[in-house]
Amino acid sequence: MKKNLAAYIVRRLLQFLILVFISTSFIFILPRLSTDTGPVEQAIGRAMSQGQYTDPQAVEHLRKSLEISYGLEGNILQQYFNFWRNFLKGDLGPSFAYFPTPVTDLIFNALPWTIGLLGTTTILSWLIGNWIGGVVGCNRNKKWARSIEVIINGFRPFPHYILALILLIFFSYILPIFPSGGAYPPGTIPELSWGFFVIVIKHAFLPALSLLILGIGGWFQGMRTLVSHIIKEDYVVYAKFAAINKKEIFRNYILRNAMLPQITGLALQLGMLFSGTLIVEIVFNYPGIGFLAYQAILRSDYNLIMGVTIFSIVAVALGTLIVDLLYPLIDPRITYVK
Amino acid sequence: MLKKGLFVLTVALILSSFLFAQTEYMSGIPRNEIIIIENPDGRATDPDNFNIWAPGSPSWSRGLQQISMDALWYIDPDAGIEGDPWLNSLAAEPPIYNDDYTMMTIKLREGIYWSDGVEFTADDVVFTVETLKAHPTMAWGANFEIYVDQAYKTDDYTVVLKLKQPNSRMHATFTVRWSGCYIMPKHIFEKVENPEAYKFNPPVSLGPYVLESYDPNGYWNLWKKRDDWERSTLGKLYGEPGPNYVLYIGLSQERRFLDQMKHELDIVHDLAPEAAISLIQNNPYSVTWFEEFPWAHPDPTLISLLLNHEKYPYNIPEVRWALTLSLNMPEIALASYNGAATISPIAVPPTGNHLKWYFDPLEEWLKEFYIEVDGQKFFPYDDTIPFQVTDLAQKQFGYEVPDDPEKIKESLGYGWWKYSPETAEKLLISQGFTKDNRGRWRLPNGDLWRINIICEAEGRPIATRGAEKVAEQWRRFGIDAQIQGVGTAILWPNYLNPGNFEVAYAWNIETWGGHPDLSFFLRTWHSDFYRESGEVSAGSNYIRYKSDELDKIIEDLIKSDFFDYEESISIGLDFLKLMVRDMPEIPLMSYNVFTICDGYYWTGYPTSEDPYTNPVPNWANSKYMFPKLQPTGRK
Repeated sequence: MKKNLAAYIVRRLLQFLILVFISTSFIFILPRLSTDTGPVEQAIGRAMSQGQYTDPQAVEHLRKSLEISYGLEGNILQQYFNFWRNFLKGDLGPSFAYFPTPVTDLIFNALPWTIGLLGTTTILSWLIGNWIGGVVGCNRNKKWARSIEVIINGFRPFPHYILALILLIFFSYILPIFPSGGAYPPGTIPELSWGFFVIVIKHAFLPALSLLILGIGGWFQGMRTLVSHIIKEDYVVYAKFAAINKKEIFRNYILRNAMLPQITGLALQLGMLFSGTLIVEIVFNYPGIGFLAYQAILRSDYNLIMGVTIFSIVAVALGTLIVDLLYPLIDPRITYVK
Repeated sequence: MLKKGLFVLTVALILSSFLFAQTEYMSGIPRNEIIIIENPDGRATDPDNFNIWAPGSPSWSRGLQQISMDALWYIDPDAGIEGDPWLNSLAAEPPIYNDDYTMMTIKLREGIYWSDGVEFTADDVVFTVETLKAHPTMAWGANFEIYVDQAYKTDDYTVVLKLKQPNSRMHATFTVRWSGCYIMPKHIFEKVENPEAYKFNPPVSLGPYVLESYDPNGYWNLWKKRDDWERSTLGKLYGEPGPNYVLYIGLSQERRFLDQMKHELDIVHDLAPEAAISLIQNNPYSVTWFEEFPWAHPDPTLISLLLNHEKYPYNIPEVRWALTLSLNMPEIALASYNGAATISPIAVPPTGNHLKWYFDPLEEWLKEFYIEVDGQKFFPYDDTIPFQVTDLAQKQFGYEVPDDPEKIKESLGYGWWKYSPETAEKLLISQGFTKDNRGRWRLPNGDLWRINIICEAEGRPIATRGAEKVAEQWRRFGIDAQIQGVGTAILWPNYLNPGNFEVAYAWNIETWGGHPDLSFFLRTWHSDFYRESGEVSAGSNYIRYKSDELDKIIEDLIKSDFFDYEESISIGLDFLKLMVRDMPEIPLMSYNVFTICDGYYWTGYPTSEDPYTNPVPNWANSKYMFPKLQPTGRK
């Protein structure tokens, strides 16, 4: 068993590394194959569209100088090897759009906010959605359960943007209970203190609520469907005949079996944190990595695109790896034996 | 179990609502001492970086270029704070050139100090030119590398630039239109090893405000009035700025509207027409450029239908005129701006002093101008179009519109081209085009004529809607026309600059506004800088227009004295007449900006009645607003 376990872990780790290598290579090549203009032309275009006087001869000089500064001289193969050499040293290079600020600085500045907001709401919506979904699935023929289902499903088709706006208008303007946006008020500088923490929670309330409402719907629907099927399984029916306590049947027979795909979903969802939620960031002016990724794509900022994407790839791949390693511990039907 | 859980959740939600109930907007600063201005750049991705000269773009519009940096000269797109759009800022007087334009002398103002107490002198200007010249990737660096041979001072307040080649417009680099080359503090940057990577944080200011704090996440920047504000050019020349604090903040479209309704945002940079008009109608304190319809401020930027001359059939003048005459301008104005469009039949925007310099002198010429169609004279100019627009806006939207013809001309333009599809048809037939039995135009080789109009897809609904209306009218005329919306960030670099389009709804003409010289955009249209499609254009000649007559006009312009207004206007008129005759692109309207100011806490905003500066708050010359802004007394 131990030998099998070790071989399984090594095999999965290798798969993880190959996956990251191949995906990262793709992410390196894809933007460079795009027919869109590259970062140098983007930078020149930005300079020219800023309403500043640019001499036509100077544009040519600027182009050559920028290619050198951005490290884009040389062929794609040379650039590729340079990339891996720097990447293995933890250096993702400078951002082109915000040259010469390192990409890692930009990402690490944005990441805590995204992880804080999206991480919390993902876990909360997972817990609440699965719990309500489980209870409603077990009592699907009861009137109150059907009412809850109707309410939750009523919210599900709401586009995120519209829901966010409704919350904003209702709770910030009609009933001015919550701030209309931002992660903290203008004039406040982030610090590690209880007072600042309360301010952050207050500002995160509406964006979190919009994410929770829609997030709960997704998990609820999945769980309800799973439970509706499991409840008909022989072992549940038998447990009922055996007069086992209802709560015990719900926890140990139904919920535990229904949780497996939901756990996988949670791991993948947590991995997706690293690409952020652009809509929430736009509507609520909430700082995060979604905006960074959006700007990087718009501005052909190859290094920043790669940085954000690599974080996402590694996070999703790592999430899957952890779930794969944990599954046999959770589900006795799965073993490490090949 | 579930009921109990839901009850707990609901109670938690209600309790948290009370716990987190909203408090004051910004602690410690009375609302009547701070002016809150929208930064249209939104969130700065690299908020720590205040090095405006660095390669890349550290978000200039967050107060950095407006109230902290200073330049030698400014040209306001409107009347100017003292009635002259040319403003000597750090320079004491306009530039002095030698006879062959190989030397430019700059006389500097005395008694101006950086916010850290060091005096501003000629050393700063020389250092700026030398540093940027040595780093051509930095803003304006390539300009200096090309043109400046040597920069030196002759005394503490006089700088001489020895040029590598004659350049009568060298001062344009140092002159602010939207922005210009700002002067670096030598005493700070000389200690810096790599000026490209230096963040200049906190920025030492030449303006009347200094950075008080900023959002490390990039949404806002708070500036505080300098104790020694009178040692900045603005303070010294025009008095004390009214607000003690200035907050530049990036907000979503919806929040701009709602925040101003709550008087939590004093200046909105721009809104979509419906949102703007709704705000104006619902907020009694709204101050707009024109007090009544069309409200918006016309930027000195001309939205046009750009036609790529390297793509057939847009290289044929008759085709270009046919496309023009198949357009119904009142409908386009209504579709794009709800009628609040300032239209132009000529290749300069109808803004600022251009009305006096170009539109008044050309009015009679336009009325007498004709094109020959089937051997007959056709007079295409129609001066009733602005009145048709006001009529339609009144009927369709119920707006109160001005009835004074002079006011209509000033705010909506003088006229445009007639809607005459029958003339357009004759012009196309004369070029071998045919109509099939389904009424669709076919090219002389029999192929169906298809037009793809590139326009902005996001963030600029006026462009998408205007382009769609144009496509609709051309479809009605029988051309298979469609629009293709592309993101704002890629429209210029991916489509316009490399000539990757046939027809585009965008702009390539931007003027000083407050100065008649057209070299700002026209210099790059000379055939010396002609680039074929596929290569990035050296300037704004995205349409790849080439003409000997145009070359001659540009050469005359470059040889002329920038400060000889009469000569500038005369050359400008030659250019405009050529553009009418040849119609290389179809001018439509100025880029109108719905900048809305809230008069609840502050008064003294610029308007068309008192046009002392551009109200559009991301323009650097909006700094001239601050001495005029005064509190209303409301708290």
